[in-house]
Amino acid sequence: MNNLWVPIILIILAPLLGGLVYGFERIIKARMQRRIGPPLLQPFYDFLKLADKRKMIVHSAHAFLGIMHFVSLWFALAVLLLGGDLILVIFLHLLSTALLILAAYSTRSIFSHLGANRTAISILAYEPVLIIIAVSIFMLTGSFDAAAAFQSEQPLLYKMPLAFIALLLVLPIKLKKSPFDVAEAHQELTGGVELEFSGIFYEAVYTAKWIDYVFCYALVYLFAGNNILLGTGLIVCTFFYLNALDNSTARVSYKQMLRFSLTVSFSLAFINLLLNSLT
Amino acid sequence: MYSLITFLFVVPVLISLLLLVVPKSLARPLVITTALLLSAISVYLFINSEGVYYFGVPAYVNDMVAVADIILLIFFGWIAIKRRSWIVGLMSLLQLGGLLYLLNTMPAHHSLQFMVDKLSLFMFLLINIISGIIAVYSLRYIDEEHCSPFRKKYFLSTIFWFIAVMNLVVSSNNLEYFFLFFELTTLASFLLIGFRKDEISVKNSLTALWMNQIGGLAILAAIFFIHHNGYGEATFSNLLANAKAETILLPLALLSIAALIKGAQMPFSKWLLGAMVAPTPVSALLHSSTMVKIAPFIILRLSPALKDTPVANVIMALTGFVFIAAAIGALSQDNFKRILAHSTIALLALMIMMAAVGTPVTITASLILVLFHGISKSMLFLNAGILEKVFHLKQSSDMDKLGESGPFTALVITIGFMSLLLPPFGAFIGKWVSIESLGTLATDKKILGALIMVAVAAGGAVLSLLYFKVMGLLIARTGNEDKIHFEKTGPFYAITTYLLLGLLLSTVVGLPLLLNNYFTPVATQISGTPVALVTEGWTMYLGAVKLPLLPMIIAFLLLPVTIVVAMFVRFKNVDRAKEYMCGEKVNYSFSSFYFSTDRATPYFAAAGVLFFVALIMVALI
Repeated sequence: MNNLWVPIILIILAPLLGGLVYGFERIIKARMQRRIGPPLLQPFYDFLKLADKRKMIVHSAHAFLGIMHFVSLWFALAVLLLGGDLILVIFLHLLSTALLILAAYSTRSIFSHLGANRTAISILAYEPVLIIIAVSIFMLTGSFDAAAAFQSEQPLLYKMPLAFIALLLVLPIKLKKSPFDVAEAHQELTGGVELEFSGIFYEAVYTAKWIDYVFCYALVYLFAGNNILLGTGLIVCTFFYLNALDNSTARVSYKQMLRFSLTVSFSLAFINLLLNSLT
Repeated sequence: MYSLITFLFVVPVLISLLLLVVPKSLARPLVITTALLLSAISVYLFINSEGVYYFGVPAYVNDMVAVADIILLIFFGWIAIKRRSWIVGLMSLLQLGGLLYLLNTMPAHHSLQFMVDKLSLFMFLLINIISGIIAVYSLRYIDEEHCSPFRKKYFLSTIFWFIAVMNLVVSSNNLEYFFLFFELTTLASFLLIGFRKDEISVKNSLTALWMNQIGGLAILAAIFFIHHNGYGEATFSNLLANAKAETILLPLALLSIAALIKGAQMPFSKWLLGAMVAPTPVSALLHSSTMVKIAPFIILRLSPALKDTPVANVIMALTGFVFIAAAIGALSQDNFKRILAHSTIALLALMIMMAAVGTPVTITASLILVLFHGISKSMLFLNAGILEKVFHLKQSSDMDKLGESGPFTALVITIGFMSLLLPPFGAFIGKWVSIESLGTLATDKKILGALIMVAVAAGGAVLSLLYFKVMGLLIARTGNEDKIHFEKTGPFYAITTYLLLGLLLSTVVGLPLLLNNYFTPVATQISGTPVALVTEGWTMYLGAVKLPLLPMIIAFLLLPVTIVVAMFVRFKNVDRAKEYMCGEKVNYSFSSFYFSTDRATPYFAAAGVLFFVALIMVALI
């Protein structure tokens, strides 16, 4: 039963963990730019401050969908960490993002709409790659269950190096990091889908982003099998890679992003899948 | 039993003739009672059937069928001359030549012409219930159409004609009979698509005609090769009995081509997309319960013979391709009905693929998709008709005010889309079983299996994006009004919508029961191997496919319920704010994203042609 407690604790603490990752990320990014950066707990201070703001919404459906985005994302993470079916996990993740898109469409805000359109395009950019990774894992382990990957004796990384690279290439899209942060693009869209949320209702969307961190790093961990050391190493490397990339690149347009993702990342994952199914 | 089955053939024909003469006041009760009667019979038949019913008709009917065939083809030829369409003329001539040759050379029939098994009964349910609901809906719809009173009667009459022919199609065993009924469905769709008689309707109806005529030609060729290769009589049961012979592949491939054309698979998708010009009940009929469903029906019928043949492999590759291509094509559409049409093509591809794989589990998946797609699509199309007639909306981008002007219709359409997409609705279960069962396939056909799995999963993602795009418009509102007032659309519209909604929701609740008593027996009879359905705690096993019930129930509460609740939920004691406009005052037209995928369409069509050529090639080799 020892094995079951770890994911459950992880699931319960996910928002906390994600918040810490975010806080740490801000420090690292600042250090890369030779700044000192905010304290580690800054995301939580922001969280508390937001809770205190005057409550304002555009309309109820919009605010409600934002909250449900958070809830369903948390649920998707829970299914992943408990070793559920990967296709279901990817699907749930897609749908939780779709709820946010729906929320953005439900307002009459220009920036929300633009953000929603771009988020939808982002999904189109990363979703096929994730699906190929799931299918490759199936080819190797004979099961779609994430549990099979977590328990695999031989780390999947050795069999799917190209798929891992593809994952690294789509993670910035998912986490809205430069150069693929078109969906959020503060200078252009002032936050896109998040724009019309405020105060306590923004809290849900804000913490959902923290959960997304945990979700993405859990995906990275999938590649390590039951090798905890390797898994931790992969997560740390990915963390530094993402921040270095975010700091050192400029935003590309959504067309460039889509083209890059569907040609380079998709092909890499696909070649890996073909190699896996040949052997 | 036999008399009840014949009842299903004869009554709609009689009603169809009656509807031409009776006045409007009598037409209404007549249509409603017939719809109820036919539905009741098909339910009764399904519950009380045992085994397979074979039955024959007297010998003179054979001659009547031959004469009817010839008259029909001459009628098509006449249309070709009248409309100056050389391609329809060419097809009619080829078919006529082929038919006459076959009639002269073919030996006399001995075996029974009709066969009603569980698959036929399953199709009866779909055809009679859904088409019945559509017929009742048409009573009101056609009233609002601008045409002469006789044409209104003629429209209703053609719908019942269609029902009768569909019932015959799914019960015929003899391929010659099958050919006639197949051509009659082509005729019915031709007449209905061209109903409005304007230039574009005529053009599109001719396209539908010649494309489906190719299907008829393929059936004739199949009959010829069955004789030529010495398998005796051209019947489905005979084909299945000789399933393992090598030269049987060619007739199988030809029949599959007929199926793929009826199922509007690329490059023959044009006829279904063109069918949009017809009055909306026609689209509902073509998409949900009749016409296109012949495609999965044929492949399901042939699946024991097709299983593990190269023909099946090509069909799988083709449908995998069509699934993703149609989904991508749909992203560039704005017309609401065209969006629905693209998703029909994609889902049909999935049904055909599952039937072609031919394991008991995939056959179950195919059946699940056939039924639930029928319910969801008919509901969506009927509401598209309401949008057109009541709200005067055709483009999906204009629908962004529907959430406030017609919240009930918006809600129903949203539920309709969700039922094609989200757990635990049947269409989701069907897709789920498809993807998971392709996994088992992938163990022996690794590359093909992997490719198809990627196509299905990625196509599914694209389709979900598409559905959410439309749902995003439906959920839009200004926030000025807090109360929701459901609009009134009139009894015929309301009742049919409620019926379909009720059907949809009750099938969701009763899905475990349905799986056990409804889908698996049919799949068992088709494949000849029993389908194991085991429930262990919170997991249900369908063969080797796992259905995790707990996550699905939670997902249901989270997703579909959330979206419906979002329409009603109201936060109290919260201030309202206007949207942030960055200080600008611009008139922004709210629309969704589009991908211009039109440039890719010719390539899709070309690839489709290649697949069809490959289909014949593998059968010849």
